[in-house]
Amino acid sequence: MGLNYYQIKKNVLQARKLVIRGTSAAGSGHPGGSFSMAEIMGCIFSNHLRFDPKNPEWEERDKLILSKGHASPGLFSNMAVAGYFDESQLDTLRQFGSKLQGHPDLKCPGVEFCGGSLGIGLSYSIGNALAAKIDGKDTHIFTVMGDGESDEGQVWEAAMTAAKYNVDNLTLILDRNFIQQDSYTEKIMPLDESLEGDELSEMWKDASRWKTGDKWRSFGWNVIEVDGHRIEQVSDALTRARSVKGMPSIIIARTIKGKAVEHMEDNPQWHGKAPNPQLVPVINQELDSQFMIAPSIIAGDMTNLENEVKRCDDGRADYIHLDVMDGQFVPNTTFDHTKIKELRPLTVIPFDTHLMINEPVKQIQNYIDAGSDIVTVHAEVCDESSFGEIHDLLKSSKVSVGLAINPDTSMPDWSKKFIPTLDQIIVMSVVPGKSGQKYIESTHEKTKNLMNTLKENNFSGYIESDGGVTLDNIGECFADGARAFVGGSAIIGQSDVRLVIREFRNQVLRTRRKLLIQKANELGGTELVNKWIDLHVVGKKKDELTQIATELGFQ
Amino acid sequence: MTDEFGDMRTAYGKALIELGEQDQNVVVLGADTTDSLKTSGFGKQFPDRFFNVGIAEANLVSVAAGLAYSGKTSFASTYAIFLPGRCVDQIRNSIAYPSRGEKKGLNVKLVTSHGGLSVGADGGSHQTIEDIAIMRVIPNMKVLIPADAVAVSKLTKTIAQSYGPFYMRMARSKVPTVHSESQEFEIGKGITLRDGSDCTIAATGITVKMALDAAEKLQQDGISCRVIDCFTIKPIDKEILEKAARETGGIVTCEEHNIMGGFGSAVSEVVSESYPVPIRRIGAQDMFGESARDSEIPQLLEKHGITSINIEKTVKDIRSKL
Repeated sequence: MGLNYYQIKKNVLQARKLVIRGTSAAGSGHPGGSFSMAEIMGCIFSNHLRFDPKNPEWEERDKLILSKGHASPGLFSNMAVAGYFDESQLDTLRQFGSKLQGHPDLKCPGVEFCGGSLGIGLSYSIGNALAAKIDGKDTHIFTVMGDGESDEGQVWEAAMTAAKYNVDNLTLILDRNFIQQDSYTEKIMPLDESLEGDELSEMWKDASRWKTGDKWRSFGWNVIEVDGHRIEQVSDALTRARSVKGMPSIIIARTIKGKAVEHMEDNPQWHGKAPNPQLVPVINQELDSQFMIAPSIIAGDMTNLENEVKRCDDGRADYIHLDVMDGQFVPNTTFDHTKIKELRPLTVIPFDTHLMINEPVKQIQNYIDAGSDIVTVHAEVCDESSFGEIHDLLKSSKVSVGLAINPDTSMPDWSKKFIPTLDQIIVMSVVPGKSGQKYIESTHEKTKNLMNTLKENNFSGYIESDGGVTLDNIGECFADGARAFVGGSAIIGQSDVRLVIREFRNQVLRTRRKLLIQKANELGGTELVNKWIDLHVVGKKKDELTQIATELGFQ
Repeated sequence: MTDEFGDMRTAYGKALIELGEQDQNVVVLGADTTDSLKTSGFGKQFPDRFFNVGIAEANLVSVAAGLAYSGKTSFASTYAIFLPGRCVDQIRNSIAYPSRGEKKGLNVKLVTSHGGLSVGADGGSHQTIEDIAIMRVIPNMKVLIPADAVAVSKLTKTIAQSYGPFYMRMARSKVPTVHSESQEFEIGKGITLRDGSDCTIAATGITVKMALDAAEKLQQDGISCRVIDCFTIKPIDKEILEKAARETGGIVTCEEHNIMGGFGSAVSEVVSESYPVPIRRIGAQDMFGESARDSEIPQLLEKHGITSINIEKTVKDIRSKL
């Protein structure tokens, strides 16, 4: 089984948009904490929670307890995506008569806990877990708790109780976003070390200063620490936590409050404030502009791919692009599924397998079994029937489905029916077969045109630029509509993979900021541009945005 | 009525074991007071359905709520001073508030002992005179104060079979038995223990016996007193109180609780809206208790006027003003 990677990403994106929709309609609510736990909730709902939205009281279901109840929009949005109720219900959030109360409430079928008063959820979860044990059921309890909430003494009463009773059918996920209502947690009530100054990001990065895990370990818990915005890490941690028997498990997920909307990120002001409805379209465009960077390891040392995978892991690659060449579809030969299977245990980062092979339909199962999370096949060697078979097999195995087109090919007519469920389209910007080639300039135009077709056909996946992507052209590729970027020699060929990935990201961010300012200008001229810029109070973002606006002549 | 005494906690512990045998879904939780509350016997017999969470009342309440949400009938017990007073937020938000459809609140029974001033030697810090007031203002919460061990035994079984949150307070010491073994107890229905036409004494808990003693004495003075055991404070028996007001013209209330916000207040609320008659409230005089050895507990109660003699006096006082 694959990670269901793109499906989770799509769900998380949709859930975030619904949080914005709900809170902006309500005029209040808590987007910050809803966004910090967005990937956590996405993973739980997509891969781990056993539930039936049409039968919320199903006896065999697992239970999700949102202890940090103020993040209810983050729960309701995921429930809507999961099919408990229509997405339009989010418009009634916090309104009189709505089942979507300000805090999670049993009034809404599917909600398992009345949250709001903090510190209660873990005790309540333990009660549910103990009941399942008495009944001999394999119900699993997932509890999402806040870090500010950990100030409550009851949390630690519960921590001891769970250890005493070996409550191993419960996974606690701590949304460690470092911010509570008044300010940074390390200023109000440190869980790690006290924060000196305002450099929260330094705290986030410096693992030697984290003490939260030690606290839980000393209380008798199995502790797993992850980056809470990395789907593969969260999902893997949830699997591992569940497999540990005889003791309770906590996943300490380091997250960013307001994640995915720059002006909300790491900004205590967005703990409990609704977005200005005027700016919602800009925020939605920002949410649609999430992007990923994937090193292609064949551009590295082919004799030691294990080490290249490790370098990608250390470099915080979003996923790892694996070019499989069979010597027939392309003149070169690289490796096949046996190599991928060998590499799989080395990292949890998703494997983006790009099959440059003839008759891929005959090989698909091997690549699923090898541990691919995304498999892309070439349109040139498929037809409607064989791709249909590939598509269905991948989807049923929770592997994301990609279709690639060569520089001289366009999307075939038969592919149209698959567009709404396609997860990824690779637009080759070099002739496939070897790395180190230059980006073919006409690909920009091709991608833009393709975007129009895709929009008309309800595409919800990601366009991946593959071939000759560099710091110089990545911004333009992003502006064309690409959201995933494969880097061969430009990334894996460099000595410091982490640094170069960060440079790639920053380059995309610059373009993204520019496009968002343009969007604000389009919607409300200089006034709205200024409103948008003024929201960016953390760090030096505001200066950079002001500079962009000036360059664009909007100021 | 007999001159026998019964131990409420023993009756509670015994009733729990009987319930445990009949119903696999009954679970019992304690907070390091399980020997004292006599719930440890249940624990010995049903170790898988018994949880001692240590001195952590907030946790006790919410774990009990979680068990109840998953279909269990949770009995959570410790001393009255700690259970409502220390964790009213958990009681409100994790037990009373969560409601789905017709199920109002979760199925948790908070049963405490050491209620009121008669705790004695432990002193004012342990003598709760606020619990009725705290619990009865919480929607969906029902509040009971049994008068004797017979009532405890029967009510423990009754609340197990009646869905929803209950608060039931017991006394520390052995209490005189006022009910016969055949007495039936219905939630929301007071029990007229003695009929009378000149005045009514409405009492709860250990003061029921005082009320009966006072009525006996008053009879000798030619005053016919009705005595009602109002063990069910919420829901309160409006009918029996209105009838008493109409037929006897005055009501004296007795409780081992602050006269503010407690049982006397509840009776006043009902009577003032249905059939206003003079009411006098006997109870703790808005001041805390203090230590008293067992032999001195009558003195402590006397300080607050919680005695049969004061009930007598108060009835006469009310009569004189009619």
